[in-house]
Amino acid sequence: MISFIHSFQSEWLKKKGTLAFWLVFVGSFFIPLIFLSRGIFYPKDFLAEAKSPQFWDILTSRSWQFMAILLLPLGVALATSLITQIEFRNNTWKQLNTTPQSLSVIFWSKFAVIIVMLLQFFILFHIGMYLSALIPAIINGSTDFYERSVPFESILKMAGLYFVDCLPIVALQYLVSLQFKNFLVPLSFGIGLLLASLIAVQWKYGYIVPYTYCPYNMFSAKQPQMVPAGVNFHYWAVGYFAGATLLGYFLYLNKKEKG
Amino acid sequence: MTTIQVSNVSHQFSNQEYVLDNINLNVREGSIYGFLGPNGAGKTTTLRLILGLLKKQKGKIEIFGKPFDSHRIEILNKIGSLIESPSIYGHLTAINNLKVWQKIYQSPDNRIGEVLELVGLAHTKNKKASQFSLGMKQRLGIAVALLHNPSLLILDEPTNGLDPSGIVEIRELLKRLNQQHGITIIISSHLLGEIEKLVTDVGIINKGKMLFESSLTDLMNRQHQASTIYFDTNDNATALQLMHQQKIAAQIEKERIVVSQLSKHTIAQINQNLVANSIEVYGIRAIENDLESIFMNLTNN
Repeated sequence: MISFIHSFQSEWLKKKGTLAFWLVFVGSFFIPLIFLSRGIFYPKDFLAEAKSPQFWDILTSRSWQFMAILLLPLGVALATSLITQIEFRNNTWKQLNTTPQSLSVIFWSKFAVIIVMLLQFFILFHIGMYLSALIPAIINGSTDFYERSVPFESILKMAGLYFVDCLPIVALQYLVSLQFKNFLVPLSFGIGLLLASLIAVQWKYGYIVPYTYCPYNMFSAKQPQMVPAGVNFHYWAVGYFAGATLLGYFLYLNKKEKG
Repeated sequence: MTTIQVSNVSHQFSNQEYVLDNINLNVREGSIYGFLGPNGAGKTTTLRLILGLLKKQKGKIEIFGKPFDSHRIEILNKIGSLIESPSIYGHLTAINNLKVWQKIYQSPDNRIGEVLELVGLAHTKNKKASQFSLGMKQRLGIAVALLHNPSLLILDEPTNGLDPSGIVEIRELLKRLNQQHGITIIISSHLLGEIEKLVTDVGIINKGKMLFESSLTDLMNRQHQASTIYFDTNDNATALQLMHQQKIAAQIEKERIVVSQLSKHTIAQINQNLVANSIEVYGIRAIENDLESIFMNLTNN
C-alpha cells in the first residue's frame, strides 16, 4: 500500500502542466462560464429563472445536458489518453518499468490518477455551476436566488450516475493507450466510438456501445423514450468498466516489451 | 563476486532469427564493464533483458547472486539505469523530473541537489527539460540513474550526444563513482576508443554472439600478441624459404616479409638464422595493432 501511495504521488506530479491537467480545469468551467455570461448579460432571464422553485434543477440539468452528449465523453477520452501517453511521448516506459515497484502498482497508480482527475473534474464542474448562479445573483441583486436551497441529494445522485457512466470510457481508453505508442490510435478509437455512440443512441441495442451511457443518462430524465426499455445501462457501464479494466491489466502485465 | 551473471541467454523477436544467440556475460563486483559491439550487435537487447524490459525466452539471468525473475523488486532497488535515449519528462523541469523518481525511490530531498550538482545541471532552475540540449538530457538521464545511490549502474551508450569535454566529464564521474563509492558499472558502446580509458573489463558482442570477455589487461595482451613483424632483407625469397623451414607462417608484402605474433626470442632466432645463411638483414620492425583494430578484427570475423 505504501508503495502504491508513493507511486501515486509520482504519477500525480507527472501530470503537472500537461494538456490533460489544463483540460480538467478548462473543461470543467467551460459550460458554467457560458451560463455565467448568460446570467450577467441577460439579467432579465436570470431574475425570472431565479423566481422558479426549480431553479437549481433547471440549472443543473441544463448544464449536464450540454456536457453529457459530447463534451464529457470527449474530454474523458482525451484526458485519459493524454495521461497514459505521457510515458510513450517522453520515452519513459523503460525507466518506469525498471523502478523497484511491481507492475501492478504502476498500472493501478496511473489508473487511480485518472479516476481522481475525473473526480476533480466533477467537483470543479459543480463549483463552476454554483458560481454561474451565485455571481449573476450578486451582480443582478437577486433576492429570490438566496431562497432557493441547493438540492444536494439529487445533484449528488445525478453526478454519481454520470460518473459511473463515464467509467467505461476511462477503462477502454486506458487499455488502448497502454498498448499503442502512436497517440492517434487511442484518439481515433475514442472519437470513433463517440461518433458511433451518437448514431447508436437511437438504436434499440445502442446500450451495447460503451460510450452511449452519458447521453442515455441525460435522456432518462428528459426523454425517457430514447432510453432502451428494460435495460439498466448503469449496470452495463459497470460491467464494461470492470471488463475493460481487467483486460487492460492482463494485457499490460503480459506485454512482451516493457519499454 | 559476480554482480551480473548471464548464462546461455538467447532471444528472438517474433519469428525472426536470433538477435542473441546463447550469450554468457559476467560482470565482477566493483568493476567497470565495457560492453562493446557495433550497432545492432545485441547490446541494448542484452541490457533490456538484464533489466527485465524484455521477457526472457531462454537462459538464466542472476543479479547480485539472485535470479532476476523471482527477486525483481529487490534487485531493481539497487540498480540505476539509462537505456538508449534518456527518459525525461519534457514538460517538467530537471528538479521535477527527479522528484517524479524520488517519490518512488523515497530518496532524501537533498539528494536531488546533489545529483544535479554531480552532473552539472544545478543551474537549469525553471527551464523545462524539453528545452535542454541532447547532452543536457543525457546528463539528466544519468542523474536519474544515480538518484537512489545504486550499487549497480547500467548505462547504454551514455555519452551519446555529449561534446568531447562532456564525454571526459562523464568518464571522470563514472570513475569516481566506481572508485569512491564502489559502484559496479556496465557501460555499452560501439566505440572502443571511447571507453578504453574507463573500463576494467571488456565484453565484445557481434551479431548476437559474445566474441570476447575478459579484463582489459587481457585485451591489451592480445594487442601485444597481435603485433606484426616486418623483415627487410636483400633476398626476401630465400629468407621466406628459411622461415617456412622453421615452420613460421610468413609472406611477402610490398617487398617486405610480414610475420605476425612472434615472441622476442623467436625474432632473435630468425635473425640469427638469416645472418647464418648469408642474408643481409636491413631492418626488423614490430608494429602493434591498436585496440580498435583488434575490435574490428573480432567483429569482422
